[in-house]
Amino acid sequence: MNAIRDYSRWRIIVVLLAMLAAILVDHLNSSTFARNSGQAGVQTSYSQLDDSACAPCGAPCPSSREPSPGR
Amino acid sequence: MASTTPNAAYGAESPTVDTPRVDRFIVGLTLAFAVILGGLIYLEAPTDRVWLFLIGGGLGISLYHAAFGFTAGWRRFVVHRRSGGLRAQLVLLGIATVLFVPVLGNLEALGVEASGAVAPVGLSLVVGSFMFGFGMQLGGGCGSGTLFTVGAGNRRMLITLAFFIVGSVLGTFHLPWWLDQPGFDPVSLLAHLGVGGAVAVQLLALGALAWWLMRLERRRHGGVDRVLLKGPDRSVGATLLTGGWPLMWGAVALALLNLATLLMAGYPWGITFAFALWGAKALGAVGVDLSQWEFWTWDYPSLALRDSVLVNVVSVMDFGLLLGAMLAAGLAGRFNRASRKPLDLGGVSSAVIGGLVMGYGARLAFGCNIGAMFSGIASASLHGWIWFACAFVGSALAIRLRPRFGLDNG
Repeated sequence: MNAIRDYSRWRIIVVLLAMLAAILVDHLNSSTFARNSGQAGVQTSYSQLDDSACAPCGAPCPSSREPSPGR
Repeated sequence: MASTTPNAAYGAESPTVDTPRVDRFIVGLTLAFAVILGGLIYLEAPTDRVWLFLIGGGLGISLYHAAFGFTAGWRRFVVHRRSGGLRAQLVLLGIATVLFVPVLGNLEALGVEASGAVAPVGLSLVVGSFMFGFGMQLGGGCGSGTLFTVGAGNRRMLITLAFFIVGSVLGTFHLPWWLDQPGFDPVSLLAHLGVGGAVAVQLLALGALAWWLMRLERRRHGGVDRVLLKGPDRSVGATLLTGGWPLMWGAVALALLNLATLLMAGYPWGITFAFALWGAKALGAVGVDLSQWEFWTWDYPSLALRDSVLVNVVSVMDFGLLLGAMLAAGLAGRFNRASRKPLDLGGVSSAVIGGLVMGYGARLAFGCNIGAMFSGIASASLHGWIWFACAFVGSALAIRLRPRFGLDNG
């Protein structure tokens, strides 16, 4: 006998398919896909180590920032 | 009959002590989806992204099976003066320190191209981490907690995640302004003290914190919760597969998988950059010009925005984490179990506020409890310690507000 489920199977499948569709749409419109399709001169971030950044998100160092006008 | 493991009080939700009934539909669906997504990553991205996707899956399984939540551990200490969950986090940070610092201090000798999670220290970090700590108590989970409970089918946490993404995008809009406020460049204990000094100072600090927590707990209860020394309730094989991991297993697995991330990706585990990226991509798709936002003109964010999410390390690992948690919930026979309780206005509004505040705070603070605290402290960066302290204060404040939203502080 099946145990009582706490979810709808179809809803889970639809959510996963929607997630996959969003990923695919993003991918097909990306520079990664353009490069993989042989388009020349496309910049990608295959290597995401950014030595010039000051934080994992790519933020610059406070010491390198230009003071904003009025400061 | 469902019963909870001792870890349930420290994490978000936990598998049963009784032998669980594996949910074959969820397990099969998750594996099928993982093969499709993994195959896409294999075809379209560098091979290391496939490994990082699998590492993300391992992290999701570990977080779920050990019920390793940061939020509940902090709350349990603040409300009940029970420090087991918080001490498990200190053990995690200690193991990670011992694993990370020697690697980061000997990159050339080891032939590894990598860098630790270091970030500036300033008003942005202080305000952001305080906000994150505040938001995680209202939202019901931190960066990792939100993601793994969503993977396990928790409906309320899906709301938290959606607003986490909204808050993250708002944070990217304002971060440049915050960076112009008082602050200074990253401080690496490793650079100042060397490998031995940094490891010694961090282990001493973690040990002193653990001792202080135990002292407060002993004063209140006359003894200390021995949850850290607890073994599995069932056989090792059954526990590994279907859950109910002791907290120590979770701490060891998370530290090792974060080290694997460092070695594979070149930098440690992070979660929340991807939320900002997904939100920004969604805005771009509806016509918003993000080139006007300074954050998205910086090298890494601008490249990530143009690139596929399939090559973005943080996104790929987040996908793996979601699916890993879903798989683990299926193996434990508890997928979506947390959604049995109907959503009420208090639960929804606290998820919205918590998600927004966490998202905004995570961007200002250069990450969440994983990217800034776990990976930051493991990298011996001062910002990780400051993040921990400020987030804890914010958390303590929000815990007092939880009952106003009808949220249980138990």
